[in-house]
Amino acid sequence: MNSLVNLAIRRPRLVTGVSALLTLSMLLLATLPSVFPERFPALHGVQVDTDPENMLSHDNPARVLHREEKAEFELYEQIVLGVVNDENPQGVFNAQTLDNVYRLTEFAKTLDGVVAPEIIAPSTVDNIEQAGLGAVSFSWLMPKPPETDAEALAVRDAMLRLPMMRGAIVDDAGKSLMLFIPITSKDQSYRISRALMDEIETFERSGGEKYHITGLPVANDTFGVQMFLQMAISAPIAMGLIFLLMLYFFKRLTLIVSPMLVALMSVVITMGALIATGNTVHIMSSMIPIFIMPIAVLDAVHILSEFYDRYPKLQDKRATIRAVMSELWWPMFFTTVTTVAGFASLMMTPIPPVRVFGGFIALGVMVAWVLTVTFVPAYLTFLPEKSLQNFGHRHEGDDDEATGVLRLIASLAGHRPRAILVCSLVLLGVAGYGISRIQINDNPVKWFEPSHRIRVADAVLNERFSGTYPAYLLLDAGQENAFKDPALLEALNGLQAHLEQNANVGKTTSITGVVQTVYREMMEGDEAYFRIPGSSRAVAQTLLTYESSHRPGDLFHFVTPTYDKAVVWLQLNSGDNREMSSVVAAANAYLQAHPLPGQVQHDWFGLTYINVIWQEKMVAGMLGSLLSSFAVVLVLMMVLFRSPLWGLLAMVPLTLTIALIYGVIGLVGKDYDMPVAVLSSLSLGLAVDYAIHFLARSRELQRQRGSWAATLPAMFTEPGRAIARNIIVIGIGFTPLILAPLVPYQTVGVLISAILLVAGLVTLLILPSILTLFEKRFFPENRA
Amino acid sequence: MKPFLLLFSLLASAIQLSAITAQEVANKAAEASYYKGDDGRAQVEMRITDRQGRERVRELTILRRDVEDLGDQKFYVFFHRPADVSETAFLVWKHPDGQDDRWLYLPALDLVRRIAASDERTSFVGSHFYYEDVSGRSPTEDHHELVETTDNYYVLQSTPKEPDSVEFASYKTWIHRTTFLPVKTEYLNAQGKVYRTYQALKVETIEGIPTVTESKMADQERGGSTTLRYPRVQYNLGLEDELFTERFLRNPPRELLGQ
Repeated sequence: MNSLVNLAIRRPRLVTGVSALLTLSMLLLATLPSVFPERFPALHGVQVDTDPENMLSHDNPARVLHREEKAEFELYEQIVLGVVNDENPQGVFNAQTLDNVYRLTEFAKTLDGVVAPEIIAPSTVDNIEQAGLGAVSFSWLMPKPPETDAEALAVRDAMLRLPMMRGAIVDDAGKSLMLFIPITSKDQSYRISRALMDEIETFERSGGEKYHITGLPVANDTFGVQMFLQMAISAPIAMGLIFLLMLYFFKRLTLIVSPMLVALMSVVITMGALIATGNTVHIMSSMIPIFIMPIAVLDAVHILSEFYDRYPKLQDKRATIRAVMSELWWPMFFTTVTTVAGFASLMMTPIPPVRVFGGFIALGVMVAWVLTVTFVPAYLTFLPEKSLQNFGHRHEGDDDEATGVLRLIASLAGHRPRAILVCSLVLLGVAGYGISRIQINDNPVKWFEPSHRIRVADAVLNERFSGTYPAYLLLDAGQENAFKDPALLEALNGLQAHLEQNANVGKTTSITGVVQTVYREMMEGDEAYFRIPGSSRAVAQTLLTYESSHRPGDLFHFVTPTYDKAVVWLQLNSGDNREMSSVVAAANAYLQAHPLPGQVQHDWFGLTYINVIWQEKMVAGMLGSLLSSFAVVLVLMMVLFRSPLWGLLAMVPLTLTIALIYGVIGLVGKDYDMPVAVLSSLSLGLAVDYAIHFLARSRELQRQRGSWAATLPAMFTEPGRAIARNIIVIGIGFTPLILAPLVPYQTVGVLISAILLVAGLVTLLILPSILTLFEKRFFPENRA
Repeated sequence: MKPFLLLFSLLASAIQLSAITAQEVANKAAEASYYKGDDGRAQVEMRITDRQGRERVRELTILRRDVEDLGDQKFYVFFHRPADVSETAFLVWKHPDGQDDRWLYLPALDLVRRIAASDERTSFVGSHFYYEDVSGRSPTEDHHELVETTDNYYVLQSTPKEPDSVEFASYKTWIHRTTFLPVKTEYLNAQGKVYRTYQALKVETIEGIPTVTESKMADQERGGSTTLRYPRVQYNLGLEDELFTERFLRNPPRELLGQ
């Protein structure tokens, strides 16, 4: 018990006023510069950042390379636009559809943020073909829309003959088209894709003509837009449900307003601080409110639960508050410190958004604690004594909803402790097996539900084409003109052939494709000449011929003008990090066994690869922070209970909870992705909370009652009910997230509920079982 | 100059000014740019600079022979540097009223190929100049409008007669009033934006003929530009017609190419 609480009870107006003022000022500090940026230039407004690339710090070597090589080879992030038609026997190669494709391309050129000269579409690329005996022709593939379906088929046939296009722009079946629209910046992609869709709406389409838009930048940017909707819809619904559940348990509307206010103020102050300090609202930080809410409500529910149970006996609100706060002070303090430790440990990870996430949740939890021990008591003193008439739990042992189940648990723990522990050990073993099967994987496109149009586009296009996910293999020979050497180009062909054997690599493209295609067409289109000509001079002269086309600059997307560096483009048909990793491993193994001639260094870049890098950091970082916070919490527990043995006991529920949660994730084959990784901190924080409350109260009751046998049933009245109410209120409160259209939020919703349920059950079952079984060790005074 | 003569020339130019039509300006500009003398030879240093400032240098010699003024012409383009494309040669028979004939000789493959580009607005050997910029766009292919006459320049606005065959919507040319050399051309796209600009950087009088000895084509859309320098230009060498045949692609006339 502490002077803070006394202050709150004596000066409730002051405490309430300060809380309200602080909340209001943080709200204004964040909203004013967001709404009127020009009037508050010195303040930070809301800045949204949906770029997963920012999971890596700006100067991360992989990101630096990605940036530099994109600039060097003038490569851009791309919007992928697919056109399909399953009804027309000619697919999209009919006059009507190609006319639309032509118009759409012209429209795309006019859009801000589109790199018009680099668009890849039938009307913007060259056809290279032999035109009669001894003649080579470079001409626009589709300079204007074809007037007849027969002309449309001619466009198709020309495309299918060009290896660079086949599979990439036209599918092997010659039915569908894919356009690549390069953009100057990823955060433009939602706007540009909307503009393209609006334009498509105006088209008169042929029967069955369908358009699909996807690509990592569109997925990222769209996620950002929906993330806000999510914050605006799901979080309040969760809040509302928690409110209704509390109303159900505690009946008094006036009473339960206080935990809601604590949660609301904690969220506002934390998010206000986040925005005001110039931090971005990122995929991670957008989840901060959802994480703070249950934690903020949790302690207040303990207070209310105790208040509800004790008021009928004491019949005096101030006395009840004092009694409740004195009993809960240390458990609440330590649950807060442990939760803070869990989240603060995230600040040690090498991922900037995760650091921000962990740091601000830690801040929010502290704010929630201060408000819980000041604002809640102050609020309770405002309630007129009269309004509390008939309030609360009048008779001990009364039928409360949870009581029946709680009695069962108590008797199980009292009579079958061994069975419970054996079951737990078996479960732990199963969990261990599950954990060993965990698949570390993520894919930002899969952050949308399978029915989302981006997921549909992703599925449709990756089935027909080589792939919508780009990755780039950089080769640096360190020597001018190296990539005109036929030996090196042949070796490159070998590497590409090997990479294309991988099921996820739809296609690879490099300078060899250009050389071989031009050479073949120089040799009257004879397939036998689809190879690298025999000397560097011959390669150079073949390339000079290509430079007489409409787009000679395209060459330098594959090689530097000095021909010392080259890039192999990979089109992957899956953006799963797991698949990208396997491609990298396959390339490394191949290059180890078949080194390229000369001293060629290799490295990777491209968004699909960047995702792998940050995921690796995420997994390693999360494991490190979990282990370190585990150690910190263990020490804290030993200090709290002034006993290493009790400290270890307090760690049992969280260890089992984390093991079970991740074990199930491994068993059901759910990918260990970003939200799953982050939730380890939350499970640690929440699971230990229940243990602290349970053990602290057990020791206190044991002191009062003198024997564990007398303590056990009592533990399942007030304290057990408080824990059970918590599980139900917060566990059910987060189920609305399951309805969210964004998969990471669904994951968070399911896992928070599961964590609370598992942690609660484990706490209520295992801790009393252990105490029953090893009573003499834990309560040496009972030995007598 | 005698006062009488001065007066006469002023009068003459005044009459000319009042009478000249846009088409005449365009014709004279084409003549001044592409049909000087009966034939000519130029050494060319081509400097291709990309958006990132990376430079590639090529050296070539261009021989030209006019079949008739403002009519058919023949070009022979021979590469000296870089080494791996040296002796590569192009032959162009320009037909202002039809499709040009183009041949390419690749010495490393000992191969002569006809290049049947459907249009002449493809890159000239990877530079920012198009074939048509090097050999000359026929003044009859566009509608010309004299939009402005300044102290020094006629400003022509030209729009293509066949818009489907070119990538520009229009272009605007500043043509010097006495030499009729275009000193600047801006190409506009369908959105009315300038995306490509030609500039004559240096004009010298060679054998009495005003000649552009340095010019530049800039690409505002992708970035980058190409500069052509002509360190040695000669006219009226009496080049024979048979030089401009396939046979001489394989057997370059070395004495004429400064080798």
